[in-house]
Amino acid sequence: MNAPTSFATDVRASLAAIHAGFEATGYLCSDAIATAIFLATNLQKPILVEGPPGVGKTELACATAAWLGKPLIRLQCYEGLDESKALYEWKYGKQLLYTQVLKDKLGDLMAGANGLADSISRLHEFDDTFFSTEFLEPRPLLKALWEPGGAVLLIDEIDKSDQEFEAFLLEMLQDYQISIPELGTVTATVPPVVFLTSNNTRELGDALKRRCLHLHIPYPDANLERRIIASRVPALSDGIRHQLVGFVHGLRALDLKKTPAISETIDWARALLLLHADELDVDLVRTTLNLLLKFQDDIVQVDNDLYRLISAARKA
Amino acid sequence: MSLVLGNLLQALRASDVRVSTSEGIDAAAVLGAVGYDDRALLKTALSQVLAKTVDDKSRFDECFEQFFHAEDLRQLPPADEATAEDNAGDSGNETEGDSPGGEQPAAEAANAESGDSLQSLLEAGDRAQLQMAIASAAREVGITEIRLFTQRGMYSRRMLERMGVEPLERRLYALRSAGDEAEAEAERLRGRLTVLREDVLALVDRQLLLLTANAGTRLREEILQQVPLARADVSDFRIMQTLVRKLAKKLVALHSRRRKVAQRGVLDVRHTIRRNIEFDGLLFNIVWRRKKIERPKIVAVCDVSGSVANYARFLLLFLYSVAEVLPKVRAFVFSSVLAEVTELFKTHAVEEAVALTLQQHGWGSTDYGMAFTQLCEQALGDIDHHTTVLILGDARSNYGYAGLRELRQIHERARRVIWLNPESRGFWTVGDSEMPRLATACDRVDTCRTVRHLERLIGELMRTAV
Repeated sequence: MNAPTSFATDVRASLAAIHAGFEATGYLCSDAIATAIFLATNLQKPILVEGPPGVGKTELACATAAWLGKPLIRLQCYEGLDESKALYEWKYGKQLLYTQVLKDKLGDLMAGANGLADSISRLHEFDDTFFSTEFLEPRPLLKALWEPGGAVLLIDEIDKSDQEFEAFLLEMLQDYQISIPELGTVTATVPPVVFLTSNNTRELGDALKRRCLHLHIPYPDANLERRIIASRVPALSDGIRHQLVGFVHGLRALDLKKTPAISETIDWARALLLLHADELDVDLVRTTLNLLLKFQDDIVQVDNDLYRLISAARKA
Repeated sequence: MSLVLGNLLQALRASDVRVSTSEGIDAAAVLGAVGYDDRALLKTALSQVLAKTVDDKSRFDECFEQFFHAEDLRQLPPADEATAEDNAGDSGNETEGDSPGGEQPAAEAANAESGDSLQSLLEAGDRAQLQMAIASAAREVGITEIRLFTQRGMYSRRMLERMGVEPLERRLYALRSAGDEAEAEAERLRGRLTVLREDVLALVDRQLLLLTANAGTRLREEILQQVPLARADVSDFRIMQTLVRKLAKKLVALHSRRRKVAQRGVLDVRHTIRRNIEFDGLLFNIVWRRKKIERPKIVAVCDVSGSVANYARFLLLFLYSVAEVLPKVRAFVFSSVLAEVTELFKTHAVEEAVALTLQQHGWGSTDYGMAFTQLCEQALGDIDHHTTVLILGDARSNYGYAGLRELRQIHERARRVIWLNPESRGFWTVGDSEMPRLATACDRVDTCRTVRHLERLIGELMRTAV
């Protein structure tokens, strides 16, 4: 039974290393996130990240790239995205030039050929470079596979893309390879770390989900959020940081159209720092509320409740 | 190890988490990477690989907690016969995982009749050892096959037999007449035997719970699909609600995506020329004409008067679910006057919305003529050749004017008018039913008595909503 214990300490050590490594890049991760990163790097599986907007899904990929010291390659998805924009495109202009050059050279090549059969066999000896990597313009997916030291590939907002594109990604996610009809199969030398993010505007296919680890990032607890604010806006004093995180958590408990996420909390913290505030009061909150809430209905609703929320935040 | 995982997967499937085989393989790989030692880590890791939606995650958490119930048996003090700790009777599965080799001899020994080993186990009072023995007995009798509540007795009996309780009891009986000291000893052992029985029963119960958590609900759902809506009990409303919601979600997932169908072979000349201006009008890129399939626009009208009161709840429920999942639904209800409830549905939870609607608009006497006249006033501008008009009602207008003229008008503008009648066809010609006459202004008239009917009709509706 000794072997498993040392094995367990190994796992724990690498998790601690992930925590520390991410903290150095300025991203504070929860245990679930650290576990996901650990699994993804060990099992070489892509991670599908879901969660409300603004909790740091995209940021996670950036932090991973910084931590691993690999380039981040990003593919933003949208409706109508196809393989010529995601995978590769031929450099048509260069290809046209090449045919022109070839035409000029053809005379030299064929000099002294006897009859049609001979010229065709000569033509066969000639290298066909028309469809070769020379004329290939790599797009994000191909770039990620070609990157010699491996890369971090971020496929952002996969739920915005079409279902066909989702199906097209499957080969890439399963084996880290891609088929180009004219060239054959391109396989990654070092498999990239792949992140897919989704805001759940539509249900993703089972086939895609099956191939990924599924990480759901919820809003952080108060403790973690305070640490995040401390690392992102270090100049802010302790007292107001407590109050502002307490206030935001009070808002999240309400029934709002759009609850404020971490990115909004950080924006608000910066604004408060700029205004040299050292305590939350009603006027201050009322004038800066539009940084946190993005709907007029929400602002009106919170305005009615402001005194209670602020006093609760002060006690927290 | 793989046995534990297999059992866990089975339990997950029983509690409605969809786990595919390849995800099971992934889970095994995850176990290899993180090991069994850190419970919290194991849970997060497995949940990332097995549960792929937020709902699934909460179900997974529940199931995981139940499955690995006793955190660590070895930390329990050896219980004496008086304290039958509830939580001790647990999780043989975990012990299997911890030491796959260790329990095998114990099981065989227990098997080997005579009850000797059982007696010594009981005498030693080592709870952990006892648990292992129980677990292996459970495995031998195939506890994972248990499906019915009535099988509990049988399985626990078999397990006890397997562990050699019978010979032990015979011996205890023999001890009875062998003097005070022996009798006291026997009494003590008998006490421990009771604890053992409780433990076995607890394990059987837990297994039953794990494996059949949702079987009851599933059976009910299946039956409710076929029960006429009017006869369904109010207490079934909640199940019906999940059922209808499931149905609506499924249908929408099938049909909602705005599909672009490229019709090969039909050249789009205008776009082709535009696209090729950069090549001096040489046609490099050819553009084919595409057809866009839009999501259907629906105007739904629901009768909530006294005559269809029993159906109204369920029809409203369905209306609510449809409005929830489709963006372009205008919902109206009427008994004597027509009222739009689109906003109400948007702002209230389903139960509240249905109750409010019935309270505000329900229970009056029906007036179809008035309803259709008002529908023309309020929504005729919104009805165009993309719109499907859905009418839910029994077409009984109390011998008053049934609004045929207005319905015709609607029919002329709309893509389709579909009437779903809760009465079966035979009653359409009886009494004050206006169905035959109104049917002339509908594209389709159908009986809709059960959830099954509803599913089929709406599925068809959305599939053909081109």
